[in-house]
Amino acid sequence: MAIFFATLPQQVINGLTLGAVYALIALGYSMVYGVLRLLNFAHGDVYMVGAFIGYFVMQALIPTSVPVIVIALMLIAAMAGCGFLGVVIEQFAYRPLRNAPRIAPLISALGVSFFIENAVQLMLTAQYRTYQTEKLIPPSLGISIGNGRLSATRALVIISAVVLMIILQYLVRNTRLGKAMRAVAIDREAAAMMGVNVDQVIVFTFFVGSALAGAGGVLTGLVFTNIWNLMGFTAGLKGFTAAVLGGIGNIPGAMLGGFVLGIAETFAVTFISSTYKDAVAFVVLVLVLLIRPQGLLGTRITQKV
Amino acid sequence: MSQDKIGTDQWVEQYQGRVNRRNRVALLVDRASKRLPVWAWLIILALVAATLPLLTSNDLVIRIAGNVALLGALALGLNVVVGYAGLLDLGFVAFYGIGAYAYAYLSSNFIGIHLPTGITLIAITVISGLFGLLLGLPSLRLLGDYLAIVTLGFGLIFQQLMTSMTRVSIPGQPSPVNLTGGPNGILNLDPIRIFGWTASSVTDYYYIMLVLLVVMMLVIYHLYKSRLGRAWSALREDELAAEAMGMPTRRLKVQAFATGAAIAGLCGGLFAAWQGSVFPSNFDTNLLINLYAIIVLGGLGSLPGVLIGSLVIVAVPDVLRNADLAGKLFYLGAIVTLFGALKPRWQTPLLLIAVAVFGLIVKFIILAIPSLGWAPLPPVGSAYLDVIHSWLVAPANPVLTGNAGNIGFAALLILGLGVTRIKNTWARFVVLIPTLYLLVFVWETRLSQEASVTRLLFIGVLLIVLMIYRPNGLLGQKRVEIV
Amino acid sequence: MPLIELQDVTKRFGGLQVVNHLSLGVEPGEIVSLIGPNGAGKTTVLNLITGLYRPDSGDIRFDGRSIVGLSMHDVTRIGIARTFQSLRLFLNMTVLENVMSAAFLRTHANWFDIIVRTPRFRREEAQIRQLAEAKLAFFGERLVGYRHDQPAYSLSYANRRRLEIARAMMTEPKLLLLDEPAAGMNPNETGEVTELIGKLRDELKLTIILIEHDMSVVGGISDRVIALDHGEKIAEGTFDAVATDPLVVEAYLGHDERHNRK
Repeated sequence: MAIFFATLPQQVINGLTLGAVYALIALGYSMVYGVLRLLNFAHGDVYMVGAFIGYFVMQALIPTSVPVIVIALMLIAAMAGCGFLGVVIEQFAYRPLRNAPRIAPLISALGVSFFIENAVQLMLTAQYRTYQTEKLIPPSLGISIGNGRLSATRALVIISAVVLMIILQYLVRNTRLGKAMRAVAIDREAAAMMGVNVDQVIVFTFFVGSALAGAGGVLTGLVFTNIWNLMGFTAGLKGFTAAVLGGIGNIPGAMLGGFVLGIAETFAVTFISSTYKDAVAFVVLVLVLLIRPQGLLGTRITQKV
Repeated sequence: MSQDKIGTDQWVEQYQGRVNRRNRVALLVDRASKRLPVWAWLIILALVAATLPLLTSNDLVIRIAGNVALLGALALGLNVVVGYAGLLDLGFVAFYGIGAYAYAYLSSNFIGIHLPTGITLIAITVISGLFGLLLGLPSLRLLGDYLAIVTLGFGLIFQQLMTSMTRVSIPGQPSPVNLTGGPNGILNLDPIRIFGWTASSVTDYYYIMLVLLVVMMLVIYHLYKSRLGRAWSALREDELAAEAMGMPTRRLKVQAFATGAAIAGLCGGLFAAWQGSVFPSNFDTNLLINLYAIIVLGGLGSLPGVLIGSLVIVAVPDVLRNADLAGKLFYLGAIVTLFGALKPRWQTPLLLIAVAVFGLIVKFIILAIPSLGWAPLPPVGSAYLDVIHSWLVAPANPVLTGNAGNIGFAALLILGLGVTRIKNTWARFVVLIPTLYLLVFVWETRLSQEASVTRLLFIGVLLIVLMIYRPNGLLGQKRVEIV
Repeated sequence: MPLIELQDVTKRFGGLQVVNHLSLGVEPGEIVSLIGPNGAGKTTVLNLITGLYRPDSGDIRFDGRSIVGLSMHDVTRIGIARTFQSLRLFLNMTVLENVMSAAFLRTHANWFDIIVRTPRFRREEAQIRQLAEAKLAFFGERLVGYRHDQPAYSLSYANRRRLEIARAMMTEPKLLLLDEPAAGMNPNETGEVTELIGKLRDELKLTIILIEHDMSVVGGISDRVIALDHGEKIAEGTFDAVATDPLVVEAYLGHDERHNRK
């Protein structure tokens, strides 16, 4: 027990960092699901592409620029690139299938995921690449919290994620498109009849969701440094798990789910065994779903006859 | 006579004709299948397939054919759960793994048990069926996509446990026990032994897999055309209505899960025996995706569809390993696709000529600038490839060739996607010229060099394109869905 | 003794009282219509009887025994079948399969029978096929013959409603609950449905509870009409008596202020 309390602050910090990344991925999953009822299996791969965009921007700029600007540019480039990628995926792989049987877009999504992973492997090989975070943020920078230490990198990840989520929340609550998005999520046809441009909303959803995943990719690279072409698969699953955990289609739920999952995983790694890290995520998920089938913040759907 | 037609809408009357016009392949299969009963078709299939080892002594070909049969049988099991009962089970591969590991435990020195094959196979079918029952229980509470993620998680946990349970402390045991063999798996499994006969060669296992496939097809066909099959379909179509029509939907769901799991387990056991070993990596997500590709490609719920799907997904990528054959298939496929997609039809030959000329012009211009260091690709000793190679130009330095291929690949993606958005026939024609040139360039400099990556790329593209043009699969019936 | 009897049944959704202390009974062989404006709780009554919802209080008795708490398929097993207002056919199954599937509870072939095709299985299969065709034949030329191996989604709207009734009949019910069987039909077809419901009672001795907005159907065949409003019974009796009952008229047309003042 003593060990538990001694390491608690550090575990929470680590859990929040991991959770922030999961939450960013979960948001895209959740938004797309809310609007299209589609499990976008390619989402994790978009996140991977984001990590690589950040990596190449970093490689290009590190010798010449100020760290703050480099990090900002990495985030912006990854978000723009991934947002664009998301829109392209939607246009070519999902839009033609909007009225197809439900399994069709799911399979198409698997195809996209397969394609992206292997296209990246073809062009960049399956090697790990390493973010040179230490050249941007001095490892010594940081503050102590209790027995734990919050490094500047981790602080950056958590703060950026939270800022992005606040911006997202503002977009969804207060802008025209955000409101349209919520309307489409509730009833696509009714929204269309009320004059909402559904296609535009879907493009917006994919752009925003994928951009968040791209940011997640860069932040992952900064804090965990190693990236490779298959990193998206597990991360995508975790993001999806987080989304389901919080109640899929529900934006605050996705954030909550991400953080819960991140903390649960970190604790499991420390107090059980690192080999069961991935298993823990799903055990938590199954437990939560068996108690609350609609997720933590989801609303129960009643069947109408 | 017109009296008979009261209430007959024309639309309904012509329905079958319209369906058939829309799907000629399905029509052919449908007509053929009605001419003979199912068991007769299965005998014909078995007889034809059984002659394969007489035609070729190439072990590789027979191995691939055995794989087609094995994965076909496995996909049939998945079809019961997904195609018939409509439960999106993404943890299916775990049952295959459970069967394989069960075989390993019961027929190797790992624990020291060597049961007779017959008993082992029955035992593992029952064991995996029970696991299916167990995993089926959450399906009672979880709907659609939630079920998908939980089962997917189950599949991953299985793989992870098999990898990591190498030092488990068990009360009463002095030292940690290796329960699964970890990433190194379990080796030296007993071969299949039935009535004193021991399967030893690839051909022996090919016949075993063939029997498995034929028996599975018969069993599943019978299940489908029975009260159970109808109840599963009803469950898929409308759970509430099924319940209201007197079907115990909860029990039916769990039964579907268990049936699929039992089939998967049996297949897994045979797989383990064939391979002679089991590893956690045998049961990864790639296999799951391949299985889904098989059942969706053929058409959900279609029995002949599973065969075709298995043939395409298992055999084609293996064929692609042979560079010369892969190249021929690639160019043939590209030309057939062009003929199919481009209208009017005369555009295709014209386009091919234009691409050839375009290539020559590119070559002429680039070779005129020696400082670039580009040259025609080296010959490889295959007549048609050498023609293409001398027609292309690429950096003489092999590393730079690869880089150019990568850049070409990225450009090809952009051009290729862009071309599908061009409506104007002539504009499309013009853009297609450099696109096709790039396609050849990328194939020769990059794709044909990376056979294993290329086949996965191919499966990815295949899935997307297939879903767009044939969301019901090659042999699938049209389905309607009301959400 | 009534075949089905609701005793002081109440059902709430959140704060909304959908069915309010409702008591009603239907005698064997009777056709009883439930009428009332939208939201009066008519379909909820059917959902309560079939076990989809559980009443918050009160009892539902069928054939003298309480059926509260039974699962839907058990309710069907003891002899209550229904159709759905918003058509819930198994659209991608053939017409014949739709009907045959509803025989599940009365067939017994086990796994061994099915996989080996034992004589017992063949006999049973032939039997229910025949039975299903007989049920379809009940609809005369509307559903006979060449349409049986077409998927249900290829049927017209009116035929889908007919198929739903055929499917419900396949469970061999004693009590049939019809939820707006004439909705979306033209006057001609409505007449046919009315006739058919009468035939179901006369030839198959079914007891029928009918929800319907089309008064020509209700007036044509009901032995008794029960009017609901806000989950309460506001009138009961012959069609003519109920249709002219001031409370019923008010429920449909709303409260007339001028009348009240006089």
